[in-house]
Amino acid sequence: MGGLEKKKYERGSATNYITRNRARKKLQLSLPDFRRLCILKGIYPHEPKHKKKVNKGSTAARTFYLLKDIKFLLHEPIVNKFREYKVFVRKLRKAYGKSEWSTVDRLKDNKPSYKLDHIVKERYPTFVDALRDLDDALSMCFLFSTFPRSGKCHVQTIQLCRRLAVEFLNYVIASRSLRKVFLSIKGIYYQAEVLGQPVTWITPYAFAHDHPTDVDYRVMATFTEFYTTLLGFVNFRLYQSLNLLYPPKIDGQADVELKPAEGKEYAMDSESYLEKLSALSASLARAVAPTHEDEVEMDEFPVEGETAEQLDARKKEQEALEKHKKLFEGLRFFLNREVPREPLAFIIRCFGGQVSWDKSLCIGATYDVSDPSITHQIVDRPRVERQVVGRYYLQPQWVFDSVNAKLCLPVADYFPGVLLPPHLSPFVTEQEGDYVPPEKLKLLAMQRGENPDEESEEEEEEEEEEEEDDNDKEEEEEEDESEKEEEMKLKKLEEQKTQSSKALPVKVTAGKVRLEDKQRLEQEQQSEEKRLAIMMMKKREKYLYKKIMFGKKRKVREANKLAAKRKAHDTAVKEEKKKSKKARRA
Amino acid sequence: MAAPAASPSFLGLGPASRDPAAVRRRSRGSRNRKKSWKRWAGPEAQLGREIGDFLEDVALQQRATGGLIAEQPDEGLFFVDTGNAEKDRRLNKGKEKPLHVDLVLQPDSKVPAPKNILAHQIPNGRKEKRRREFWRRQEEKGVLPRAERRLRARLQRGGVPPPEKAPEKGRSDPERGFYDIWAADNPLERALAGQDGWFLQQTKKQRVKRPARLRTKPSQVPAVEVIAAGGSYNPTFEDHQALLLRAHEVEVRKKRAEDKVERQLSIPAGTQLPTAATVFQEQCEGLLEESGDEEDGEPPPAQPEDAPKPAPRREKKTEQQRRREKEARALACRQRREKAARCRRQEIFRLRSLRRQVKRWEAELLRRRQARLAKRRAKDALPRRLGRLKYEDPSLEVQLSDELAESLRTLKPEGSVLRDRFKSLQKRNLIEPRERAKFKRRYRLKYVEKRAFREVT
Repeated sequence: MGGLEKKKYERGSATNYITRNRARKKLQLSLPDFRRLCILKGIYPHEPKHKKKVNKGSTAARTFYLLKDIKFLLHEPIVNKFREYKVFVRKLRKAYGKSEWSTVDRLKDNKPSYKLDHIVKERYPTFVDALRDLDDALSMCFLFSTFPRSGKCHVQTIQLCRRLAVEFLNYVIASRSLRKVFLSIKGIYYQAEVLGQPVTWITPYAFAHDHPTDVDYRVMATFTEFYTTLLGFVNFRLYQSLNLLYPPKIDGQADVELKPAEGKEYAMDSESYLEKLSALSASLARAVAPTHEDEVEMDEFPVEGETAEQLDARKKEQEALEKHKKLFEGLRFFLNREVPREPLAFIIRCFGGQVSWDKSLCIGATYDVSDPSITHQIVDRPRVERQVVGRYYLQPQWVFDSVNAKLCLPVADYFPGVLLPPHLSPFVTEQEGDYVPPEKLKLLAMQRGENPDEESEEEEEEEEEEEEDDNDKEEEEEEDESEKEEEMKLKKLEEQKTQSSKALPVKVTAGKVRLEDKQRLEQEQQSEEKRLAIMMMKKREKYLYKKIMFGKKRKVREANKLAAKRKAHDTAVKEEKKKSKKARRA
Repeated sequence: MAAPAASPSFLGLGPASRDPAAVRRRSRGSRNRKKSWKRWAGPEAQLGREIGDFLEDVALQQRATGGLIAEQPDEGLFFVDTGNAEKDRRLNKGKEKPLHVDLVLQPDSKVPAPKNILAHQIPNGRKEKRRREFWRRQEEKGVLPRAERRLRARLQRGGVPPPEKAPEKGRSDPERGFYDIWAADNPLERALAGQDGWFLQQTKKQRVKRPARLRTKPSQVPAVEVIAAGGSYNPTFEDHQALLLRAHEVEVRKKRAEDKVERQLSIPAGTQLPTAATVFQEQCEGLLEESGDEEDGEPPPAQPEDAPKPAPRREKKTEQQRRREKEARALACRQRREKAARCRRQEIFRLRSLRRQVKRWEAELLRRRQARLAKRRAKDALPRRLGRLKYEDPSLEVQLSDELAESLRTLKPEGSVLRDRFKSLQKRNLIEPRERAKFKRRYRLKYVEKRAFREVT
């Protein structure tokens, strides 16, 4: 009998949660303000485990917050600013209604505003925390910076986003930290390694906007508001880590070069700064002149518990990375006006290449089309009318594929008008037993330094040669102009040929036979051991083993099926090609 | 009662100080009512009234002439009237009757108005004086008031007003500056740096610490999910087919749900649709005699089928039967008990199998626990139910084989990055899915045709 009656919903999970509306009332905020506050402070709704208990017996789906979170929000100084702003709006409306213009001016001068700096510090107590959460911030800033300046969001926000995005791109260029690029149908995915943290972001293609209606712009703008603040502070810190000036300044030397080329008619001084920065063609000024002492090799200390093999592997990886960073070093690119300038300029500069474009296309062009030192010209037209000898004319995909493959791919597949090889996603990593498309296999072989089997390509090459012959005829007419360059090109071609011939391993036959024998013996022994091990297994384990093996086999079977499909597709395509060719000839 | 008489400027409290004119001279009236008890009467009242009269008179004289008439010289009171107008004017020079307009402008009373003392008093005089003294003393020490200091500073600048501080840039101003927020001495914490933590906490100057619980993200889904390999602008054949297959499956599922609804709503194939004749028949049902008879005819045969059949009657058990049954029951019970006891005794020889059983049971429990855990993990990866609406995956971005671009130049982007970002936020449980608030008009719109238009049309 003892004790008071326990009332329902007065303890336990019912008291740990609070509904959205009650939270809103507790904070004395309107719903939009509450939503904004939650986004800024990083307080998210929570799904309780036992909804019925929390909801006092009702099973209606509602939005719940943790009560402790809301209590934490009560301490936020921004809440007061929200209330002040509400009062400000009320006063302003009243003044407008009464046509008291002096009051309106006075009120506008004293408009209450707030800053998010302290929230950034609070949510990301260390710099690494902020870096880990950079994906969202970058994607949002790149997205907002492409918005048209319509009434959907503040123009100021768009400008700020653009500035921060450009600053970040410049940082990535300066630190050469880009790793992967992927052209998808949705947008371009990038992955960079910023201070050891992989950062992935997506940028939309230029002019690709249809404003979707099912998106809450206010919510997105609030997220962006926070992320711009975060990205600004991160940018500052990143620039500092590279010893660069912030806000970024274009290197003085480059600045002088740029000036005579572009008159003042291009843009206003205030605008041209950001424009020049966003051209991505000039390097940035450093706070302290770079010293060459940095390049002295670091002493290496073996990490505890690391074998020599691991150390070696790590070293190799490091070397590969260094090589990857200098992929385009020494190459000079020229972008035709029909290719997307910004992503290409960004990527080429990220790997040490030099890039320029038509002077009328954008500010910051450093050299002209007629510059003889250009090695690669990126074009995206079916055919190029006037070709200059001494440079490769390539489709833009070559740049992206080369970056993903971590080596300069053979150029023949990417000439203008040629059917491009597929653009593979660098974000996919195949597990053992998965189906690997032949394109990827070829690529992997190339990365290992082998030349892919040429048997299958012979036919294609023949075709290409024929086409090239046609091109050669045209080129011959222009030959007189620049014999030197012709020589250079020949040299290059020869080099390529020697490289390709080098990789044919048909010399040591006798040794191989013996080796195989040994291998086979070893294999036999291994398989025998395996068979015995299986025999010794317990029944249950055997069952599990069989299951696993069955799954693997199924995977292989599927992969085989896909391969067969591919083969059929390829033959069909080839047939068609031949047919069309015959038709053309006839 | 002597006080009022002594100082005529005070009205007495006693009965005599009342206005004598107001008092009726009936010394003794009827006393049967309370009103008449309070009449002012008696010798004191008499005296009071007289004094009052007198004072009134004096006041009147003072108001009218500026003093007592008795104290005025004759010339002040009278003028000479000789009967000759000419002569009178000469004799009474300076005593002519003033013009009415002048009289009107004169104050009513000759008694001068009392002086306003407050007009000559300095407000807060004593305080001001003390302050002045304070500042004089401070000046001796070399401390100047703020206004003085500012004035001097301005003089030093050469009379130029102080430079206006640039208004602080807002949080989304494109020109705004940033600083190293993670440095040891950042401007954000510089103001409070080095002060006592306890003091700051008690005076609410220190921000409340963010709970550690909020450091974990509500979902493990990565912020930017990269599209499948088939979403490349120039995909391999297999990847593209795989993506198409996925999109196809989604579509099929959608179609199936739609079909289901359609099927449920459609009329079964065999049924006959009502024609005009059947509808009429139905409406007439029960009104016409013939049809009524038919209806009555049908139900009776149905009734006997529906009704439950009565259970077959059993013969009553005999005494002997009962006894035998009872004995059989007891026997069975005993046998069961004996068997159980025997089994229990045998159990000791079953120890091994028992142990096996226990083990099996434990393994089963472990399996269940792991399955539960796996289930919970799988659920964690899914977006949670945060509001009235459920999260719905956005439609897959996919381009059909003939839509694929041949080169980057001709690429037509699919889907929207904005929607992708928004859905990602929902998927990661950062915001609850909701639909746009519908616009609700409180009052109906009223359309009025303007006169100007009406003339034209």
